[in-house]
Amino acid sequence: MFLSLVAVGFIMATFDVRASGTGLGEVMREGTQSMFAPFQRGVDWVTRPVIGFVDGAANLAGLREENERLAHRVRELETQVQETDALKEQVAQLESISGLKVPEDLAFVLARIFSSGPSAFDNVRYIDKGSNDGIVQGQAVVDEDGLIGRVDLVSADAARIRLITDPIVSVGVRVLATNETGVVSGMGDGPLRLEMFRATEPVYEGNRLVTDGSRFPPGIPVGTVRRTADIEVGFVLRTEIDPAARLSKIDYVKVIVGWSAIDAGLQQGEVASTTTTTSTSTTTTVGG
Amino acid sequence: MSRSRVVISLVAVLVAIVIQTTVFGSGGIQPLGIAPALVTLVVIAVSTHIESEYLLLIGFTGGTLMDLMGSGTLGLWAMTLTVVAYVAGRLKHRFVDGPWVIVGVVVGLTALGQFLFVLLATLFGHGTIAQPGLFSKILLPGVWNLILAVPVFWFLGRAFESRQRGVGVRRA
Repeated sequence: MFLSLVAVGFIMATFDVRASGTGLGEVMREGTQSMFAPFQRGVDWVTRPVIGFVDGAANLAGLREENERLAHRVRELETQVQETDALKEQVAQLESISGLKVPEDLAFVLARIFSSGPSAFDNVRYIDKGSNDGIVQGQAVVDEDGLIGRVDLVSADAARIRLITDPIVSVGVRVLATNETGVVSGMGDGPLRLEMFRATEPVYEGNRLVTDGSRFPPGIPVGTVRRTADIEVGFVLRTEIDPAARLSKIDYVKVIVGWSAIDAGLQQGEVASTTTTTSTSTTTTVGG
Repeated sequence: MSRSRVVISLVAVLVAIVIQTTVFGSGGIQPLGIAPALVTLVVIAVSTHIESEYLLLIGFTGGTLMDLMGSGTLGLWAMTLTVVAYVAGRLKHRFVDGPWVIVGVVVGLTALGQFLFVLLATLFGHGTIAQPGLFSKILLPGVWNLILAVPVFWFLGRAFESRQRGVGVRRA
């Protein structure tokens, strides 16, 4: 019986890999998620205050550190506010260069995380909003600091988020300082991996990265470069970045429902048509 | 074998999954950033109360549910917890030798489960073996499970015992 069960497990794994997590596996995941969600919400509702109290008591020493960190953060933000005008100008320049506009006032759904994956190797969180609230697969999930992940699986009243630390999640990014694009992917935990295939300029420690608008809305903070990486001819520029969002302490999140890959496609289309129109008119002018 | 013992074991696994994903989930109790492996502990704890064949089924079911609730490939935790259940079933007769045996089994089997999962996940292309903090993720759950073993073993012992008494009273 032992060998039979292991064999069944192996067959299940093989089929799931072949189906890329879709098909029967997806249906079973949705069913299990729906089955467990009410119990998880109940337990979360009962235990959250207690855990908060225990956590607070256990981290009394850490609270001073947290306080200092927040004070430092406030000072940083005050400085940033003073630099707003300069940044606005920079953003306008970047927009004109890239042809992409950062969408303002995107519709979002506020959701709360009520559970996570069952093991230390899982990079998923469950939120208390689902398809009834307009959430669909693939939407970006953010908090006040930046990108957290994307919606991975949706049932009527709950959804699963796959964090950006998951190795199968890739995010198209733009380095704010140079406007060059690359891809950020998860490493399972901790920092993220940045790869830039046609980099012409190095990235420096502290460079900030935002989404490039290919799959998620442009301009969402993704992270900060952890280590300077220089370009080498014929090699991919590769380094690590620290996520902008504090992924270990997520409570409330925003699911951006006013943007989809179709919007990205449309925007790219608009960019392409604008470029074509511009070049056509230029040609006409020159020809004329 | 009383069917009710299997039902109690199954309920224990389901409860363990709910607690694992909420109380010990993100934002919950995670000392040093790592949560205990409660489902593995429950599979070990019920091993002394049910026959080995049923234990294998409990392990497999618990693992499958973990797979369905997690982000990995379906079947990896199922295989892992089946192996844990198999080894626990082989070792359960040694539990009477003393508490040190239980300590060794809880820590060792939890670490084995974590390690086996890493191995299987890596074989199935998740690259888990390259994750940062891998050693903590393999070793720390065993330590936390050891602390949780006292209430879990006690609680499950009481649950099976009360069920046994209930059956005895009805028979009398």
